[in-house]
Amino acid sequence: MDIQIQGLYHSFGEKQLFQNYKLCLREGGVYGLTAPSGRGKTTLLRILLGLLSPDRGSVTPKVHYSAVFQTDRLLPGQNALEQLLFVRGGGRGEREECRRFLRELLPEDSLLQPVEELSGGMQRRVAIARALWAESDCVLMDEPFTGLDEESLHRSADFILEHLQGRTLLLSTHQKELLQAYPITWVRLPEQGFIDSVLP
Amino acid sequence: MKSVSPIRCFSQGLFVALFWLGVWQASSMLVDKPVLFASPFDTLRALGALLPTEEYWLSILGSLWRVALGFFLALAMGLLLGSLSFRFSGVQVLISPLLTMIKTVPVASFIILILVWCGSDALTVIVCLLIVLPQIYFATLNGLQSSDRELLEMARVFRVPGGRVVWLIYRPALMPYLLVACASGLGMAWKAGIAAEVIGNPANSIGEQLYLAKIYMATAELFAWTLTVVLLSTLFEKLVMNLLRRVGG
Repeated sequence: MDIQIQGLYHSFGEKQLFQNYKLCLREGGVYGLTAPSGRGKTTLLRILLGLLSPDRGSVTPKVHYSAVFQTDRLLPGQNALEQLLFVRGGGRGEREECRRFLRELLPEDSLLQPVEELSGGMQRRVAIARALWAESDCVLMDEPFTGLDEESLHRSADFILEHLQGRTLLLSTHQKELLQAYPITWVRLPEQGFIDSVLP
Repeated sequence: MKSVSPIRCFSQGLFVALFWLGVWQASSMLVDKPVLFASPFDTLRALGALLPTEEYWLSILGSLWRVALGFFLALAMGLLLGSLSFRFSGVQVLISPLLTMIKTVPVASFIILILVWCGSDALTVIVCLLIVLPQIYFATLNGLQSSDRELLEMARVFRVPGGRVVWLIYRPALMPYLLVACASGLGMAWKAGIAAEVIGNPANSIGEQLYLAKIYMATAELFAWTLTVVLLSTLFEKLVMNLLRRVGG
């Protein structure tokens, strides 16, 4: 099902981020959101997730999302495997499957360590794996590649595309130039809708 | 924190213990009236005389049973009421003032009132309950409120089942608060419980024995019973805290 954003208005105080904004995410499409910071990337993702009510406008239909948030949001004290099983599964078969899944992105010996002991980049990859492991119709990722070196970035990007399995993806990034090789449809946020009282 | 070797830790503890035993002994020699102030030796002798008696162990069992019952009732009720207050703000508005009141009313007033209403047997249990309940209640409420909002939001987005959210987000937030409240609650339960027994004099209780020791001016026995309470309360606290840590992770 395509996700339609229509007639979206949202502002923070004086700052009008969206003014009659429209966006259609086709089912199974891979979209990249790129814009200077402060332009409303995170806001748009939060509106889609239903964590923020826009001033006006609609997002239809209601679908199930999974997400990589701006911060990793991992459960403290739990290992990488538990992070994934928290959002889906727990049966014995799934545990083994989950371990195989994670091994594609992380070294084997890191899977059973509490996540605090992992490096920032590894924690980020756990968060990416969690979003793809969860059941959903659409995957949203807010700056998923921050804190990753170039090699990890490409590995993660390949992993994401491989495990989308027909789901729609919308990711925001400021590293567009590193992702040119991937089949991503780039979406821009409206500049005309951006009224900053500081600008002349 | 600097790590201290176990041997050094032990010898240090031994020194401290010996130092204060020395102070105790010296004070008793200074006072030199066994009726007013028993020496460590008098106390040990009195304890040695108590140990083989049936009365000693029955009193311990009686007091232990009452304090433990009061404490665990408070733990269960505090967790329940605290969780309900966290979930439904109406419940919190309604019952918080009551618990604040219980917290501030002097124990002695409670003891007298309950003695009149319920008699001496239930007294210790209810006093322990009333002393510990507000501690557990407010710890539960504050602990749950300290849960990581970002994690809760994450769980909501992923539609994680409630039981898992409770176990992996709420429980870890609650446990540090609960452990602190239990540790202090246990100490207070013993103090208030024994005080209630001294006033209410239920059969088979340490409080009754303390009361009798006072009547007969048996200071050494009073000290021996006090020592018993201290040991009992320390052991019980260790046991319960271990249990809680095991259950609550």
